[in-house]
Amino acid sequence: MALFGIDTGWSSLYDFSEGVAKWIIGILSWIVGGLGDNLPWVFGDFLHWSDGIIRSDLHLALVAITVESVVLLLIATANLLTFIWIERKLLARMMDRRGPMYVGALGYLQQIADGLKLFLKEYIVPEKADRLGFDAAPVVLSAAAFFIIGVVPIAPGLGLTYQGSYASATVLLAFAAFAVPPFAVLIAGWSANNKYTLIGGMRAAALMMSYEIPMLLAVASVVVLAGGFDFVTIVEAQQASIWFAAPLFIGFVVFLICIVAELERIPFDLPEAEAELVEGWTTEYSGMRFGMIMAIDYLRGYIGCLLATLLFLGGWDGPAILPDWGWTLLKAYFLWVVFVWMRASLPRVRTDQILHIGWKRLLPLAMLNLLVAVVLVSLGWV
Amino acid sequence: MASETPVPERPEKKLSLTGYVVKPMLVTLKQAIRSAVRPNTVLYPYEKLELPPSYRGLHALDFKKCIGCALCVKVCPNECMFMKKLDDPELGKIERPGIDYARCLFCGLCTEVCPRECLFMTSDFELADYSRESLRYDPEDIRHDGYGEERFNRKLLPLHDFTKCTGHAKCAEVCPTQCITIAQVERTSRLKPEVDFDNCISCGKCVEACPESAWKMDQVILETLETDRPFFYLPKCTSCAACARVCPTECIAMTEMPGTEKRRPDGTMTKPKKRPVWDMDKCVGCALCAEACKFDSLWMEAAKLYSERIREESVTV
Repeated sequence: MALFGIDTGWSSLYDFSEGVAKWIIGILSWIVGGLGDNLPWVFGDFLHWSDGIIRSDLHLALVAITVESVVLLLIATANLLTFIWIERKLLARMMDRRGPMYVGALGYLQQIADGLKLFLKEYIVPEKADRLGFDAAPVVLSAAAFFIIGVVPIAPGLGLTYQGSYASATVLLAFAAFAVPPFAVLIAGWSANNKYTLIGGMRAAALMMSYEIPMLLAVASVVVLAGGFDFVTIVEAQQASIWFAAPLFIGFVVFLICIVAELERIPFDLPEAEAELVEGWTTEYSGMRFGMIMAIDYLRGYIGCLLATLLFLGGWDGPAILPDWGWTLLKAYFLWVVFVWMRASLPRVRTDQILHIGWKRLLPLAMLNLLVAVVLVSLGWV
Repeated sequence: MASETPVPERPEKKLSLTGYVVKPMLVTLKQAIRSAVRPNTVLYPYEKLELPPSYRGLHALDFKKCIGCALCVKVCPNECMFMKKLDDPELGKIERPGIDYARCLFCGLCTEVCPRECLFMTSDFELADYSRESLRYDPEDIRHDGYGEERFNRKLLPLHDFTKCTGHAKCAEVCPTQCITIAQVERTSRLKPEVDFDNCISCGKCVEACPESAWKMDQVILETLETDRPFFYLPKCTSCAACARVCPTECIAMTEMPGTEKRRPDGTMTKPKKRPVWDMDKCVGCALCAEACKFDSLWMEAAKLYSERIREESVTV
């Protein structure tokens, strides 16, 4: 794997993680084994037995995957901060403002400052809230988002792999996890015991009913065309032929609209709807829980852009002037700019309108798109 | 039962995809490109907008032009201005207005009413402070000598001093535009020149001609000539001279009226009564004389307005 044009000698992220894991395990086993040699018999035996477990292949794999996850999380966090920064800056320019500009270069570190501020805030739970649901919802939300980071590769080796090979059917996994958050939103809205949060949660459910089916149909057309449930397979199929955004243009548009709805962004931010519902289902959250929810919102934005990039825009396909992960991120950032542009321009749709759009417009278009994909495959075009 | 008001039918305007999506996005795109170079937001503490000269911000007071007539204090609708006695090393014992900005509404009436055009409102708006007390600005705090000099139309005009005048009428003789008229002051034996300032060409010949040097040339702000003038009703005057004492510009001269002497019981004659005579070119219309007059022989439109309220409400500042 090459980083910034320098060959690092690692074939994938897993190689690097395994190296780090071996190093960690070496230190651990040196401490534990050394202690075992010098301690009396019972403790010594126990420590030698522990040392054996530490040196086992299973433990190596676990530590390696943990290291891999941490690296992926760091990459995602860096991108997440950049996404927030882009949104704030670009939105500001579209509104004739300047956006953040004091903290860090061009205000890049403003998000971190805001996060630190949120850490200092009190975490208030409403008296009559259902504590379990109220606390569990952000956890479910973040877990679902982190799960997708694992299965979505940025570059061939840059994802959560075991010895360089991905889990099979990552597309299905990703979209299954992507569909969980509305459930968490509904729980959060119900458990906060507030009319605004409840309406927000119910709207999230209504929203999901309208966009989920067209989106999955659009994904299905890509899967039909690529012949695999794997992001790597899909990107390789696009490298071999053409980016799927060209033959499946209708599907691309449908997918983009649905992904904006999935991300609960304007114009489909019904569950939040500041103008009507205070802050929607996040009304009662305060302190870092609120910060967490906002961060996960943008993390989901990053993931949504990555998904659209991998499925329709050829993923890491591109001339070698940029590293492969650079192409993926560049396309994702481009899509994010389009999303921010939409946010600055479009008015929020009503609940009945989103159902209208989802069922009467997007669903037929998605079916048509699937038909196109099937025809293309049966003609042997791909 | 309440009659049902018919709901007016709203004309339904169908927005197509272009009207709903494409047009707004083009608008924002245009805006983003325009503001990418320079957004409208002004980086306030570092950059400041150049405010128009008519902006009503903090006051500036020209101590040297101010005559302490307190018209600004009287006209202030919020009663936030007050007069403060000062002992200035240059100007001596004076009275100048101060402002309590905690109550000021920045209406600008004080600057409008100022007869000497010495009170201004600057474009400075930074008033934030830590306590209400510190928002009370003393006259020294708003002192700004020479502020706004360039704003006014000035003209070199001869100003008359009635106390020196002996009625030679030489000025009227030499005046090339014949803008000086000599008239007798009512009930007195004195003559008094009146200048038509519109026709005056500022030649200064009257100053040279006057044997008593009662004329003086001065740069006069033309706006100050348009102030209110006092009306004088002679029959009610008791010759108390309260108006002359109170006049801040010393434009009132008490003049003897021959024929008003009275015979005392011992046969001697009393001194003749005096009446006030105004040098109108010096009068600033501050209405202090009208206020000082206790016998209703002096009257001013503005004074009536201001002083009535003052008396009713007995303002303490």
